[in-house]
Amino acid sequence: MYEIIEGFIEATKLIATFDPDVMAIAARSIIVSFTATIAATLISVPLGAAISFGSFRGKKSLINLIQTLYSLPTVIVGLLIFLLISRVGPFGFMRLLFTPTAMIIAQTVLILPIMTGLTIAALSGVDPVIRDTLYSLGATRLQFLVNIMKEARFAILMAVAVGFGRAISEVGAAILVGGNIMASSFASSTRTLTTAISLETSMGNIPTSIALGIILLAIALGVNLAITRIQHR
Amino acid sequence: MVALLLICGCTGTTTDPTPAEKQQLRIATTTSLDDTKLLNHLSSIFEKQYNAEVLVISAGTGKALEYGQRGDVDVLMVHDRAREDVFLADGYGINRRVFAYNFFILIGPEADPAGIKGMEPTKAFATIREKGMTDKNVVFVSRGDASGTHAKEQALWKGAGFNYSTDIQGSGDWYLEAGKGMGETLTMANEKEAYTLSDIGTYLAYKGNLDLVTLVDEGDQLLNVYCAMQINPAKYPDINSTIAKDWVNFMISDDVQKEIASFGVDKYGQPLFYAAQKDWEKIGVTEAEVTDPIA
Amino acid sequence: MIECVDVAKRFGSTVVLTGVTARIEAGEIFAVIGPSGSGKSTLLRLIDLLDTPTGGTIRIGGTDIHREPERGLAVRRMMGMVFQKPAAFNTTVYENIAVGLRFRGVGEAAIREKVKEVLRMVGLAGYEERRARTLSGGEMQRVALARAIVIEPDILLMDEPTANLDPVSVALIEDLVLRINRDRGTTIVFSTHDMYQGQRLAHRVGVLMKGVFAQVGSPREVFTLPASREVARFVGVENIVDGVVVSENGSSAVDVGGIRIRARSPFGAGEAVALCIRSEDIRIAPADGGAAAPGRNVLSGTVAAIVPRGPFSRVTVDCGFMITSILSWKKVDDLDIREGSQVEVSFAPESVHVVRRE
Repeated sequence: MYEIIEGFIEATKLIATFDPDVMAIAARSIIVSFTATIAATLISVPLGAAISFGSFRGKKSLINLIQTLYSLPTVIVGLLIFLLISRVGPFGFMRLLFTPTAMIIAQTVLILPIMTGLTIAALSGVDPVIRDTLYSLGATRLQFLVNIMKEARFAILMAVAVGFGRAISEVGAAILVGGNIMASSFASSTRTLTTAISLETSMGNIPTSIALGIILLAIALGVNLAITRIQHR
Repeated sequence: MVALLLICGCTGTTTDPTPAEKQQLRIATTTSLDDTKLLNHLSSIFEKQYNAEVLVISAGTGKALEYGQRGDVDVLMVHDRAREDVFLADGYGINRRVFAYNFFILIGPEADPAGIKGMEPTKAFATIREKGMTDKNVVFVSRGDASGTHAKEQALWKGAGFNYSTDIQGSGDWYLEAGKGMGETLTMANEKEAYTLSDIGTYLAYKGNLDLVTLVDEGDQLLNVYCAMQINPAKYPDINSTIAKDWVNFMISDDVQKEIASFGVDKYGQPLFYAAQKDWEKIGVTEAEVTDPIA
Repeated sequence: MIECVDVAKRFGSTVVLTGVTARIEAGEIFAVIGPSGSGKSTLLRLIDLLDTPTGGTIRIGGTDIHREPERGLAVRRMMGMVFQKPAAFNTTVYENIAVGLRFRGVGEAAIREKVKEVLRMVGLAGYEERRARTLSGGEMQRVALARAIVIEPDILLMDEPTANLDPVSVALIEDLVLRINRDRGTTIVFSTHDMYQGQRLAHRVGVLMKGVFAQVGSPREVFTLPASREVARFVGVENIVDGVVVSENGSSAVDVGGIRIRARSPFGAGEAVALCIRSEDIRIAPADGGAAAPGRNVLSGTVAAIVPRGPFSRVTVDCGFMITSILSWKKVDDLDIREGSQVEVSFAPESVHVVRRE
C-alpha cells in the first residue's frame, strides 16, 4: 500500500514538473495513435460506405469477416507487420522496422476492422426512408453519400473514438515493430506510454509507471469526453 | 503536420551520408547490458564523438541473434560464446571484439531455505533441485528465453549432471520459466522469494528494489563474457557498416575500456563490469579480440 | 403524362405487381386505392425511380424512364415524393426543406425566399429554426410535404401520406393537396387505403388489387359501378349476391336461387353473375304495406338483425338470401320493426349493378 501511495506522490511530481522524458513519451503516444486514427478513418469511412451501399456477392460474408477481425490479437498484427517490414521481408527495402512509422502502420492495420465495421453499422443504422427521401429529392451519388454521413455523423464519430482508444492502449504490436527504443532524438525513439509502462514496471520503477499510467488514462478519457461534448452540440 | 514531419524523418537512413547528416546505428543487445544503463552511458559519448544516433533494441541474446540474422540491425552485443561462434561461422557476423566481462551470481532469499550459501555452483544447482522437489519454499526462476544467461544456466544444469529437457524443465513446481529479460526475471524472483541466476551488473542495478542476496559468486563456470560484432555487410549491403565498425572499435578503445571499468562504482560501490583489455587470457579469448581495432 | 404499360414487379419469389396499366393525365389528382399489401407503395416507388420494374414500361412525357439510367437523375428531379413515415433529417426545419434546393445548386438567397414561402403555405411559418425531429407527426409530415414541393416538381407522389396522423392533421394535408394542385397545376398521384379519402380528393381513382388495376375511373364510377366483386367489396358495397342471367321477354333478369330479380345486365343468358346493390338503395316497408312503385323488385322476408352504425342502423333481412339496408333510427322506429318482423324489401332494377362472377 505504501508503495502505491509513494508512487502516486512521485508521479504527481513528475507530471507537475513536466518531466521531459515522461512528456516526450506521452507526446509520442498521442502523435502515433492520432496519425494512425486519421489514416484508418480515411480508409475505413469510404470503405465502409462502399460496402454498406454496395450490392455484391458475398457482402454478408465480408461483413462477418470484418466483425470477426474485431478481436484480432494485437501481437499477431505486430508479428505480421514485423515480418513484412523486416529487412528480409518484402518491404525491407523501406527500412521501416523499429521506427515510429512502423508503429503507425501497425496501429492503423489494427484498428481498421473495428472502424470499418462500426462505420458500416452506423450507415446501415440510418432509416431506409431517409435514403429514399434523399434519392427522391434528386441527390447525385456524391450528394447522397455526404448526406447519409451527416445523418450518421454521431455513430461515425463514435467509431473514430473507439479506434483511437484501441490504438493508444495497445502494446503488443508497438513493442514488436517499434522496439521500445529510447534514442537521443525525439523522432527516432519508439517508446510510447504503453511500452514504457511495460518496461518501467518490469524494472520496478513504480512512480514512473504510475505517472505514465495516469497520463494514458487522462488522454483516453479526455478524447472520449471531447467526442461526447461534440455529440451534444 | 507535426506527425507528417516526424514520419518523413523516421524512415531509415541513407547509406552514403554527407558529413552534415547524422548516421543511425542500430544495436541489438541483451537485456543485461541495457538494463544496467551501461549502453546509455557509452552511447551518449559515442553520439557526440561521431555525430551519430544510437538506437538500442533490447531483447534476449536469442532474439538479438535473430534480428542480426535478418539484417534488421547493424551491430550485435551479446554474451554467449557458443552461439556467437555459430553466427560467425554462418557468415552473418564479422569482426567480433570482446570488450567486457563479469560474473554470474546465484542469488536467492536471505533465509536460504535450500542452504546453498557458499557452495560450488553446480553443487548449489543440484541442491536446489533436490530440496525443491520436496520443499515448496525452494523455487528457482529461470530466464527461459534463450538468452545468454539462460544458456549459462543450462550449461550449469548440464555440469551438475542433469539433462535439461527431461530432468529440469517441467519436473515440478520448483522450476519456473519466466520467458523474460533479466530485470523482469529478477523482479519475479523477488516477488516469489526464489533463487535465480543473474549477471552481476543487472543485479547491482536492481539491488535497491530487491530483497534477494548473493549466495554463490565464485567459480569459473560463472564467467560471463560480452562481445560486440558487426553484421556482415556482404549479406546485407545496406547495413551501416562504417558506423558499425566505428562502434566496435570504440568499445575496445582505451578510453572506453576505462569508462567500462569504472562504470557504476560511485553508485554501487563496485564496478558492474570488468574491462576485457588486460584480462584476455583470464577470460579465455585471444589478444587480438580485445585489442586489435578493425581496419 | 404518366403512362404505365403492363408494369410488373417481383421481389425474389414474391410477385407484387403483375400487369399494371394506367394513364395519368397532367394536372390531375389520381388516387391509387387498394387493400394493404396490394403494391401501392411499390408502384409509386417505381414511378419515382427508387426501384426498377421487372416487367413492363413506365413512360413520363413519352420517355421510358427506366431505359436510360443516365437520364434517371433528371427525371427524378422533376418529381417530389412524400412517404408514409415522415423522415426528417437530424437538423433544423429550414435545413430539411433546403436539401432538395441545395442539391440543385440554388443560391442561398433564393433558398431563404422559397423556404419561407413554402412554410407559410403549409401553415408552419416561423418554424425555420426548430429542430425537425422535435415536431409532432402532423407537423413533420407537413415539413416533408414542404420539402417535396419547394423544388417545384411537375409530379408529386404521396405514399399513404396521412396514414398515421390525427384527424386535424389529415384535414390540413388534404386541404394542401387540393391547393397545390389548383394553384400550381401539379400532377398528384397518391396512394391510400382509405377509399373515402380517394373519393374526397381525386379526379380519378385506380383500384389496385392482386397486382393489377381492377378498375380505373372517376370516384363516382368506381363507387357506384364497381367492375368486379372484389372492387365492389372494397368500395363498400354490402350486398353482393350470386345468380345466373335469364332473359324474360325483352328485359333481362337474374335468377338468384329461384328468386327472379329484374336488373339491367350486358351479359347473355346463362352467364354466372354477381349482383351488387348498395344498402342505401334498398327500402324496407312493413309486410303488405301497400303497393310499391311499378317495376321495382319486391321481396318478402324476415328481419334477421338490426345493427347500429353511427346515427343509422343496418337492417339485415332474410328473403331467401341475406340483404342489408341502411336506415335512420327514426325510420326504424316508425316502421316498428325488430328481429323477426315480417317486412318487404324493395329496390329499383337500376340500383342493381351486375358484374361477371369470376
